[in-house]
Amino acid sequence: MKPQKIVMDWLDSRLGVSELLHQQLGGYKLPRNINIWYTLGAVIMALFGLQFLTGILLLVYYVPDTEKAFASVTAIMNEVPFGWLFRYLHVVCSNLIIVALLLHMLSVLYMGSYKRPRELTWVSGFTLLNLGLAFCLTGYLLPWSQLSFWATTVATDAAGAIPIVGEYLVSYMRGGPSVGAATLGRFFALHVLVLPLALMGLAGFHLFCVRRNGISQAPFGKDYRPRKPSAEFVHEEHHDGIPFYPNYTSKELAVIFFALAVLVFITFYAPWLFIPADALEPADPFSTPEHIKPEWYFLWAYQTLKIFPSKLLGLGVQVAAMTFIALLPFIDRGLERRPGKRPLFLTCYLLGLLIFVGISFWGHYS
Amino acid sequence: MNRHLVGWMALFILLFWFGPALAEDSVCIQCHGGLEGRLGQPVAEWKQSIHEENGITCHSCHGGDPTDFAMAMEPERGFVGVPGNEEIPAFCGRCHVGVREDYEESAHGMALASGGPQCVVCHGNHQVVKASIDLINPESCSRCHSYDRAEKVKEIISETEARLQSLESSVASLHRVGIDVKALGGELFSTRNAFRQLFHTVNVDKLQQQKSAFDADLDGIGEQVSAIEEELAQRKLIGGIIVVLLILAGCVALLIRKTYRREEESGN
Repeated sequence: MKPQKIVMDWLDSRLGVSELLHQQLGGYKLPRNINIWYTLGAVIMALFGLQFLTGILLLVYYVPDTEKAFASVTAIMNEVPFGWLFRYLHVVCSNLIIVALLLHMLSVLYMGSYKRPRELTWVSGFTLLNLGLAFCLTGYLLPWSQLSFWATTVATDAAGAIPIVGEYLVSYMRGGPSVGAATLGRFFALHVLVLPLALMGLAGFHLFCVRRNGISQAPFGKDYRPRKPSAEFVHEEHHDGIPFYPNYTSKELAVIFFALAVLVFITFYAPWLFIPADALEPADPFSTPEHIKPEWYFLWAYQTLKIFPSKLLGLGVQVAAMTFIALLPFIDRGLERRPGKRPLFLTCYLLGLLIFVGISFWGHYS
Repeated sequence: MNRHLVGWMALFILLFWFGPALAEDSVCIQCHGGLEGRLGQPVAEWKQSIHEENGITCHSCHGGDPTDFAMAMEPERGFVGVPGNEEIPAFCGRCHVGVREDYEESAHGMALASGGPQCVVCHGNHQVVKASIDLINPESCSRCHSYDRAEKVKEIISETEARLQSLESSVASLHRVGIDVKALGGELFSTRNAFRQLFHTVNVDKLQQQKSAFDADLDGIGEQVSAIEEELAQRKLIGGIIVVLLILAGCVALLIRKTYRREEESGN
């Protein structure tokens, strides 16, 4: 008998590994009409995995000190073997993760998969999107470039519009009246420790919810009928479905490979897409660059603050919009999930998307 | 220790309060910017200049106190005002030291006392733009003398000047993709300044003798730039290969998925 089999049998007799693997892989059935949009979760996990890996490699050489941070990033880019590759992969990947998170959220919205009994899956997923944005915001400051410094100054300044506690909040986030060494220390700790831990916990909870509820059937095809909600917990079974492994994982793997191809293409051919010229100059608190703009995924928030006559109103609208999306499953309680039979939802969905894209472009060109 | 601390704090406060004021809100600009005609024109012209681009503002040349309306133009605060014709080379030469030296030794500089041209005759004053070889042209030079000698100077420096500009553009492109060009850019900057300083001598023989040394310096810089560009091209080639491999791997995974789909359909 092969030693491999001996070890497996030994483990199996004690932990029931074969049964567990069968339950979670081959025996785990997915709906037959599952589509490509369902692969985005796996893509996001793969990209986050890559971020952890490149992040650890960057961490070896990065120095979180206002006097040394920019020089350490320059050294990573120019002296450390393949340092440029790890940094560019990290930067480009962070942007692709936001794209994938947004697409994942939009597809879940469109297919109405957020509805009962998946409220917690939705809320944890939406929080994960915000966690992704927090990763980007905190990571943005670390190179201590002109862009880092001023974009963080503008972003943290927005909280000052909140009455009474605004100034305290700004000061708390920055660790002082202005962006400085204390801000860098805080953002660094958040970026490399607090947020990764929160991400692992929340992603684990999200996956638990997905697995526990079962994959929701896509609301398309002539056989689809909305399910009636049950007062008790019911796992959505798909007895005639397709095995998760290897049938669906092969599709997930294909999409992951294509996403990595996009990542590598941008990394090697157009990394400057996500690195504006101001990101190449060291931070200078006494020289404000012209036309400082946040990253593309914060442009909507940046422009909203400018549209309204007061920052407080702009901030209020942002908070209201985000709260509405977070609590959507508790507001939209109808059973129907087919987009064609939800004209009001579809109108709001398309309008919301247009407003998001429109305001972002407006922010970019303003 | 405490004295040092107070000193640093004072410096910080000065920079913090006056730094931005010097750049945009100096009293010179606040006052002259709102004036019309001769007194307001310098501000509008300066705003289009290379000096403005590099943060060189009114008081950098004219002195005075840019933070105090009452004392802004007081000689006791270092206000110089408008220099006379013969004072201009020394006025500009406070910063452009090397150029001043070569200019003073040139035919232009030696003719200064008898009304010869000084800096602003060719470069302009408040609207001074980034110097280029195009400043040497028949219209400009023929205002004072025939174009023959100037044409020879331009002919000698043209090729080197074109290489300088091409290398500057290459170094800027390398900087844009994250390459550390501090040393390379510094070397190029120094060579460019020394070369431009040299042609202020307007001495054809001297230019011909010394041009080859500059060309050799530029060859060295060019080789460094080429080596980096070659490495970047190699990176792109490797990146392209990885992209193709990933797409192929994706296609293979899709084909595998297709075989499972056939099994699923036949199972029905």
